[in-house]
Amino acid sequence: MDIVGKKQNGIYVFTVSGRLDSNTSPDFETRLLGVIKEGDKNFVMNFEGVDYISSAGLRVLLKASKILQNSAGKIVLCGLKDYIKEVFEIAGFVTIFPIFSTVDSALHQF
Amino acid sequence: MTAGTLSLHLRNDLSELATVSKNLEEFATSLGLSKRTMFQLNLVIDELVTNIINYAYRDDAEHRITVIVRFEEESLVMRVEDDGIPFNPILSAAPDCSCPVERRVVGKLGIHLARQFADDLVYERCGNRNVLTITKHVREETLAEGPQKSRSN
Repeated sequence: MDIVGKKQNGIYVFTVSGRLDSNTSPDFETRLLGVIKEGDKNFVMNFEGVDYISSAGLRVLLKASKILQNSAGKIVLCGLKDYIKEVFEIAGFVTIFPIFSTVDSALHQF
Repeated sequence: MTAGTLSLHLRNDLSELATVSKNLEEFATSLGLSKRTMFQLNLVIDELVTNIINYAYRDDAEHRITVIVRFEEESLVMRVEDDGIPFNPILSAAPDCSCPVERRVVGKLGIHLARQFADDLVYERCGNRNVLTITKHVREETLAEGPQKSRSN
């Protein structure tokens, strides 16, 4: 798994690629929660390069989303492959995380 | 489509999940399965094995988890065996996937996903072993996406 983070117009964009499973999700959690702790509250997750996600990866997003509830922040996703999006649907995560096709359309949600 | 079987004997260590995904990818590719089917197969086994590694053992000893995947009559039949405490994932309560984020629970999602992506689940307690048999139907159009397989006759 690779994570690249950069701030774009006040929004923190994480570009994630590879696998988000129980081995890699702790790193993802450390990165995301670290940035939240520093005060950022609006995030775009570009999952274009993500070819695998398990409940371990979903948990990180849920945990971050729960923390962001207190600061009225949000996480918006984009670039999900169809079969990855299906997991979000089955887990009922599409009601928590808005999903868009591109980074640009995701950035417009803020 | 030629039949295929994959047998994996795993230690109760999360690092073994990398072995699982590598072997499943080779197996699925050899059968010409789509990326979607390959992903769902990997997810089902990942969630079940992760759950076993995290919760099945009451000691710190090394244990073996056996995973066997067979492809037969357009179905993937997975058999997962462990010698942990009795656990029937079929009876595990499903998490509430529609409530607001503040009431969502972080646990139980893995077993829920595994069940949702399986077409049929059978649990047996055989002596001191949990034996779970999972069937996943592979649709015709999924098979057609893969490379042509030569018949063995």
